[in-house]
Amino acid sequence: MLARVANNLFWMGRYIERSEHTARYTNVNYFSSLDAPRQLSQSRQFVLRSIRFMTGDMPDESVKSLDEKETLFNLSFNQDKNYSIINNVRAARENANSARDLISTELYEALNKFYHYVTNYPSEVFVSKSLYEFTVYVTEMSAILRSKIHGTLLHDEIYAIIMLGINIERVTQLVRIINAKYNDAKKTESDNPRAMENSYEWTTLLKCCECYDMHRRLNRKTPHQLSTLKFLLLNPNNPRSVMNSLDKIYDHIRLLDPDDDPDHESTRFVIGKLRSTLEFTHISEIGIDTEGYIENLLKKISDISHLMEEEYFNY
Amino acid sequence: MAFEYQIKYQAENTYEMSVSEAQWKFLIMPENKERQQLLSSEFYTSEPCHHYRGAGLFGFSSIMVSCDVPVKEITFTADYRVLREEENPFDFTEQPPADQFSALDSMAFKVEHMLFLYPTALTTLPAFSESEFEPDRKKSIFENLQDLNHWVRSKLHFKPNVTRVDSTLNDVLSGDGGVCQDFTHLFCAMARHHGIPARYVSGYLHQGQGFSGDMHMHAWVEAFIPGNGWKGFDPTNDLLCDHHHIKVCHGRDYQDCAPIRGVIFTSGRNETEYSVQVQAQQ
Amino acid sequence: MKIKSKHPIFSDYEKDPKLFDEIFDEEGKVKKIYKKLFEIYGNHSIEDFEALNKKAKASFFNQGITFQVYDEHQQKEKIFPFDLFPRIIHPDEWEIIEKGALQRSRALNLFLYDIYHDKKILKDGIVPMDLLASSKNYLHQMMNIDPPGGIYNHISGTDLIKHSDGKYYVLEDNIRCPSGVSYVICNRTALKRALFGVFDHYSTHTVTNYAENLLEIIESVKPQGVDQPNCVVLTPGMFNSAYYEHSYLAKAMGVQLVEGRDLYVDNNFVYMKTIRGPEKVDVIYRRVDDLFLDPFVFHPDSALGVPGLFSAYQHGNVNIVNAPGTGVADDKAVYTYMPEIIDYYLGEEPILNNVKTYRCGNPDELKYVLEHIPELVIKPVDEAGGYGISIGNRLSKKEIEAVKEQIKADPRKYIAQPILSLSVHATYIEDSGSFEQRHIDLRTFSLLGKDKEFVLKGGLTRVALQKGNLVVNSSQGGGSKDTWVLKKSK
Repeated sequence: MLARVANNLFWMGRYIERSEHTARYTNVNYFSSLDAPRQLSQSRQFVLRSIRFMTGDMPDESVKSLDEKETLFNLSFNQDKNYSIINNVRAARENANSARDLISTELYEALNKFYHYVTNYPSEVFVSKSLYEFTVYVTEMSAILRSKIHGTLLHDEIYAIIMLGINIERVTQLVRIINAKYNDAKKTESDNPRAMENSYEWTTLLKCCECYDMHRRLNRKTPHQLSTLKFLLLNPNNPRSVMNSLDKIYDHIRLLDPDDDPDHESTRFVIGKLRSTLEFTHISEIGIDTEGYIENLLKKISDISHLMEEEYFNY
Repeated sequence: MAFEYQIKYQAENTYEMSVSEAQWKFLIMPENKERQQLLSSEFYTSEPCHHYRGAGLFGFSSIMVSCDVPVKEITFTADYRVLREEENPFDFTEQPPADQFSALDSMAFKVEHMLFLYPTALTTLPAFSESEFEPDRKKSIFENLQDLNHWVRSKLHFKPNVTRVDSTLNDVLSGDGGVCQDFTHLFCAMARHHGIPARYVSGYLHQGQGFSGDMHMHAWVEAFIPGNGWKGFDPTNDLLCDHHHIKVCHGRDYQDCAPIRGVIFTSGRNETEYSVQVQAQQ
Repeated sequence: MKIKSKHPIFSDYEKDPKLFDEIFDEEGKVKKIYKKLFEIYGNHSIEDFEALNKKAKASFFNQGITFQVYDEHQQKEKIFPFDLFPRIIHPDEWEIIEKGALQRSRALNLFLYDIYHDKKILKDGIVPMDLLASSKNYLHQMMNIDPPGGIYNHISGTDLIKHSDGKYYVLEDNIRCPSGVSYVICNRTALKRALFGVFDHYSTHTVTNYAENLLEIIESVKPQGVDQPNCVVLTPGMFNSAYYEHSYLAKAMGVQLVEGRDLYVDNNFVYMKTIRGPEKVDVIYRRVDDLFLDPFVFHPDSALGVPGLFSAYQHGNVNIVNAPGTGVADDKAVYTYMPEIIDYYLGEEPILNNVKTYRCGNPDELKYVLEHIPELVIKPVDEAGGYGISIGNRLSKKEIEAVKEQIKADPRKYIAQPILSLSVHATYIEDSGSFEQRHIDLRTFSLLGKDKEFVLKGGLTRVALQKGNLVVNSSQGGGSKDTWVLKKSK
């Protein structure tokens, strides 16, 4: 496979996954806040700030009040914001275009439909009326695309590259979301560590990651800080956990690099090392300095992405 | 008698912004042919590059170079040793002029030499010059070509830095002199205009003999004399070519023979400085 | 005249008696070959057609089967309008077209070999030397190069029309990078999706075998010493108007779609940059124009090409399909010599008719042209895409004078042909919601390989959607129809 095309497919995977997380984060936070138990969690400004934090577009300290419509427009249809859903979908399609000969007709057609849906969507309606409908459509469409990737492509290196993109993006987004909600939980319960442990934000966090029902089935009680972090970071059976995604990333990189005695600087080796370290990490080790841990994890994942670029896409 | 030439070609390229994946093509290697034997050739660069011998047009060899690292400055050096046998340009017998001219008029001859009979963008004679030289059908082609050589020399005087490699003859003749390319283009254009095949030759000139154009790569003409073949004329010096001329390649005009071509993607400026040293021992 | 039809969708069909109608005979009755189709279509209401038409359009759009058009300000993504009423070609008629198209391809190939080697046809004075020597498409860089397999025009697109005399005429041969074949296949797919029932009543040749034949052809002209050739499709990139076709062909052949930047040359071999390092490339089916192939040899500023590619080609280490320099032979001035060229190399009579052509480069013919502009179509010799064409009987007095001046300024640049009357075909017109007569032409696709030939049984029927428009090019607002070549009945 051409290095340039591999790079494009990798990013197609990342952009598809990214638009989903942006959409769901917005949806979950906005609607959870409507009847949240705490005053602060219910505040619209609090939610808007959380969304801005998650997209990495935090306003200056001096900005006292965020405009709801503007914030929603930015994350969905603003073509000048590189994190907007429309830009992600456009970039995903553009990347697919350059590899059209390699991906299935079914996958391309689904992505193309998605693109036309998003580009023709009336943004005024979204910011005023159809927040729910649109964000749900985006998450559903991403699921359809993943199933087309899974079901209509030969499971060879092309597939592996796309899945690497998807899973690396998923880990990245998961950790960012954990980071954002951890930040929210800290704000709402800043003076009371016990209250923070039981904050409502953990429920929201699980919902943001589409994990609330799974967590319920496993733990049968209201989520708290440790159970949530453990479930999202370490549980290998949770398809939305960091552990599970790293397992997949490791599987896919082995398809690209089948050498069982890999160089210790190779992408495969570095991924394998991170995966194994996480497998034998206990939640109590994370609890000591959660923020530090999350930050470190984010950095490691971004290093892996750079390493992949160097090793496979450098043309 | 023979001359052994030591030729050093050097090009120094500088780029305003560092360029990566740059590639160059050089047409600078002396041809290995009758009376001109290439004894040795070496090519090296100041930065890590790899190079291979590629094909040029009309069977000539070129050197293809690509650079492995980003560069801001790079020097290319080529060293050649050439054994050139003495050559007397008058040492041949011509057919009678009438036979020569009728050969020029035959369809088969024209088609055979088609590529060197038609004007190119750089060898298009301006309308105002068309009637300035008329061949004399009573004289032989060789004599006519010598007259043409004088005529070109009378039309242009040697002056560097007033023309460019892509100057048309219209520009050159309306301007204030030119260099060897311009003399050569003018000769080719006029010869072709009168049905005599003429091609552009690029090469080296023995230095220190008082010739014009010996500091850089030189250009001259080869014209076809029916019954005899290609003969060299150096209109810049109003001379016939001999063992002082070391041929690299020929083509329809400068475009086919450019000594260096680079493929570089940069928005910055770039400059090429090059020099040639040609020394001989007998 | 109105045709007699009990079917509402054809009740408004105006048949112009001066034009050759593919469906209705002179008395306005449906021709035999279209009878069944006409009956089936007649059972649909106009509303049905409107709905089907909409669906077909959406299907093209969703599949991303689009092309880019450039106007002064921007480029737009558009679908190539598709008409639901197919064009049917009788097997006997097709046999002639197929033989004729192959005959032309073979003759052109021999012509190209000759003019890049001994130039016998020029020495014998059959084709004037001036014609080639002054053509900017005659690449002196190709002199004495032997393309692997001895083939220049592996892929030829022959444009045909049916005149009011009921005969086919060749309008031009396209042997640089003829495009449109992907639409032939898409049109068939779209028609099957929309109106699958009609295929039960006709036995039509498939068109989906094009890609496999193309792959066989380009593999057959592999460089010497290569066993299993590695073939690629070279595209200028996804902003090119034919990008969909490039990606379709790469995918259908199962080969890599590459851009110039994916390739490099080392030691006169071509490699592509893959995730596992360099991989040698043996045959390049290029959809990049000659002058952009190699910046060392042609256009020096081209970023679309590969530096050193031509040197690798000269060494015989890679093949380029179609060969560089084929453009000289699909020049409209060379077209006029096709009957002589076919006779010279093959000793055969042309199977397909050439349109009588006046060469403005010739003083006598120029004189005729200047005196008869209103009866002629004036075409520039080297413009593609239907640009720069003047149709004599549509010009005002002032415009005629302007055209004359234009020709006189550079006579070699123009040819003129009598105004042909292209045949017409019933076509669904969105604005009026009914079927109307529209002009059509036909592009066939023939392939030449080493000891192998193939003509796609089908083709691109292009239709001029604007009433009375004779130019059917897609960049000039044309659409297309599925084209059925019927199997011989046993």
